[in-house]
Amino acid sequence: MIYYLLLPVLLLLMVIAQITILDVLSPGSIGMEVSLIVVIYAGFHLDALRGGILSLVLGFFLDCLTSAIFGLFTFLYVLIFFLSLTVAGKVYAEKPALIASFTGLCTLLEGMVIVLLYRFVLGADILYAIPQIFIPQAIVIGLLSPLFFGLFHRFEDYIHAEDTRPARRL
Amino acid sequence: MLIPRKYEPIIVAAALLIIALIVLSYSISRLSETGLLRKMVLEVAAPVEDVLNVSLAGLQDAWKRYLFLVGQEDENRKLRKQNAALAEQLNRYREGYQEGLRLQKLLGLTEAFQHRAVAARVIDRDRASLFKTLLINKGTADGLRVGLPVLSDQGVVGRIIETSWHASRVLLLIDENSNIDALIQRSRTQGILQGAGPAGCNLKYISRADEVQNGDVVVTSGLAGVFPKGLLLGVVTAASRRDGGFFQKIDLAPAVDFRKLEEVLALAPVKDTEKKP
Repeated sequence: MIYYLLLPVLLLLMVIAQITILDVLSPGSIGMEVSLIVVIYAGFHLDALRGGILSLVLGFFLDCLTSAIFGLFTFLYVLIFFLSLTVAGKVYAEKPALIASFTGLCTLLEGMVIVLLYRFVLGADILYAIPQIFIPQAIVIGLLSPLFFGLFHRFEDYIHAEDTRPARRL
Repeated sequence: MLIPRKYEPIIVAAALLIIALIVLSYSISRLSETGLLRKMVLEVAAPVEDVLNVSLAGLQDAWKRYLFLVGQEDENRKLRKQNAALAEQLNRYREGYQEGLRLQKLLGLTEAFQHRAVAARVIDRDRASLFKTLLINKGTADGLRVGLPVLSDQGVVGRIIETSWHASRVLLLIDENSNIDALIQRSRTQGILQGAGPAGCNLKYISRADEVQNGDVVVTSGLAGVFPKGLLLGVVTAASRRDGGFFQKIDLAPAVDFRKLEEVLALAPVKDTEKKP
């Protein structure tokens, strides 16, 4: 229950940090989308319900605070979560190389969906964004993802350690 | 459990994807007012973003001030501000002169739009994102709502796409999702100004037969009823008849420098009680 109560607060703080602090540190127009790494991490480590809700809430917050099309990130994050969940069920998803390449691919997939949506639904051509934004972003996020996975592991271990602390002797 | 455990992930995935798709298709198909949940998120996030951005801006300012020549920077800022004010003033005079000429012919023309200006401070902007939006510190409590135009002293900034009680998000005119009815001031040719991201804007649906020159000023046409007529949008930087099919391909540099926006004006409709008789 605590998971579902704390989740929105932590995710909102993370999104705010992402769009303020990380945005300033980002090189050029490449966004440091840590939220996407969180979604992939959830796909590799959480069950469908917990991870699905996490992705939905995270996408919703990002939509509220950054997206020009409401619902875009909600849809994309849920899609990427279930893609990660499927991949995690088929391969050993702890190798840094796999994490980096899969995160890179997901960033590209996200970019492709945005480009296609703009092209066919909104009638705007943003193909330039693939070489200028999404490919460099995929490389940067892909390379950083094993590092973030390590941090998330530590955070998860810390939470579990708190949970499993033995009862005090009387 | 009624559902076998094996099928649980598939059912959860299907349910969540359907919810997400419904939200997405609904927001694409219609321009709706911001829902309560979204309002609450924006309301909670806006002050936190404001505090973080003020701190970050403070740090960046200190960095700049110590590294660069303070005097030159200040002078540059003043001159740029003065230049922008003069350009806007010139545009207003030009627009007023042309309007006057037309009014001589069309007696009885009345101004269709009446607006009340609400000054707001920019509290956050998307620096690295593909989406070009900014967050301002005024919301529905100040009479703002989705769809209202937002201006700066340099020209049109964009329109409001999301509001909470004390904050609103503005879609900049350079965002690819932004479309504004526009006209070329000199020739009165009408088109649609669409955002083109980092490239600025494109003026669409201008026939190949129409004459467009570099440096032509583009203003709002006031047709769709969102923006009042005659507001400065930008200047034509390139016009090509080669590509673009039936129409010309026209690139535009927006009048507003979005990176340096600090204050904006949102144009709210005048309440019935405020209207002049």
